[in-house]
Amino acid sequence: MTGTNELHDLVAPYALDALEPLERARFEAHLDTCEACFEELIGFAATAARLGEAHAETPSTDLRDRILAQAASTPQERVLRTTMPPRWRRALPRLAVAAALLLGVAGVGGYVVEHQRVSEERDQNVAISRVLGAADAETSTKSFSNGGTVRLLTSREQDAAVVVARSLPSPGEGKVYQVWMVSKDVPTSQGTFTTSGTMLMKGVSSADALAVTVEPDGGSEHPTSDPVVTIPV
Amino acid sequence: MAEPARLHVAGGAAEPADPSLLLQRVARGDDAALGQLYDLLGAAVLALARRIVRDPARAEEVTQEVFVQAWQTAARYDPSRGSARTWLMTLAHRRAVDVVRHDQAATDREDRYDWSSGPDHDVVSETVTIRLEQQQVRRCLDGLTPLQREAIELAYYQGHTYPEVAELLDANLATVKTRMRDGLIRLRDCMGVEA
Repeated sequence: MTGTNELHDLVAPYALDALEPLERARFEAHLDTCEACFEELIGFAATAARLGEAHAETPSTDLRDRILAQAASTPQERVLRTTMPPRWRRALPRLAVAAALLLGVAGVGGYVVEHQRVSEERDQNVAISRVLGAADAETSTKSFSNGGTVRLLTSREQDAAVVVARSLPSPGEGKVYQVWMVSKDVPTSQGTFTTSGTMLMKGVSSADALAVTVEPDGGSEHPTSDPVVTIPV
Repeated sequence: MAEPARLHVAGGAAEPADPSLLLQRVARGDDAALGQLYDLLGAAVLALARRIVRDPARAEEVTQEVFVQAWQTAARYDPSRGSARTWLMTLAHRRAVDVVRHDQAATDREDRYDWSSGPDHDVVSETVTIRLEQQQVRRCLDGLTPLQREAIELAYYQGHTYPEVAELLDANLATVKTRMRDGLIRLRDCMGVEA
């Protein structure tokens, strides 16, 4: 198991995008809790960017037009930031980072989106970012021995929660992880994933806990195994 | 008819636009600001992508993806957390590295280990005006130890992971991580980047 100091040594390789995917995910989880890493990363990221700017090359003359044409038909994400009261804004740097990391988005200050998302996902992301941006958002994390994590971020105000599973150990051939919201011992399925996934849960005010079980591919109607993770809501 | 792509040349007649303000305008759906951001940083993004992915057509695709991604996600940019240049170059670097790793995973990975001639310091297009900033980066890179410099260049300019860098340099993992860290600290201080 990689210790904290060893993880701290990954700030530089991370800033250079030199981590392999699993280690990148582990480092990003660590970044959540390591103020010193984050401070150092800001300087390293700016330094790396300067290396990137050290050269220039003339693009094809029509590249600009192609970009603007594609942008014209591509909807933009909206974030809540501008509508937040000042009290929230002070809390935002951490939240913005948490949001970026939770969404599987990499990097400093909510910087980088790993993948372009289709519009359906984008709608879900708006709901997710409402939870992430909520002033009362609370987060709890459970870690697996392989470095994988399940995180739960809950907002009473939004009556919603976001579950983020990252790099869990494989559930086995023909199996999936299934997420349950448990209210008074009654589990309600929230969806399945294989090793990583992000899902939104609504109506959490009545929930007592989140549970994750291993189920046959396609999921089960009721849990058929003991939970591998439970997180109180 | 749209105006042709331009290179940003420091000290040119026009006052260069502030990328941070441009990006905030992009976030509000201002496509002219996206065009200006491209005019300002498109050549740098393309050069970086070209350096990492090598293939010129693929590098242009990456550049296009990066700017469209900037258009989509500009609202996430928070000026209090770093410059818009850093934001965009970080986006570009991550995209180029992911592309080259994906492409290489899909083809024969062997040739990447044939690398022997040292990092390529001069892929600069001859049409480009060497800016003072580029000279500073060069000078700061020259101030690194050979191992620091090679470790950083193999990772940043060629998209190698640090275990690959360790293999290429025949050094152990801990050494490579330390060299990257020491090198970045030295570069950061040399470039006057505010930590």
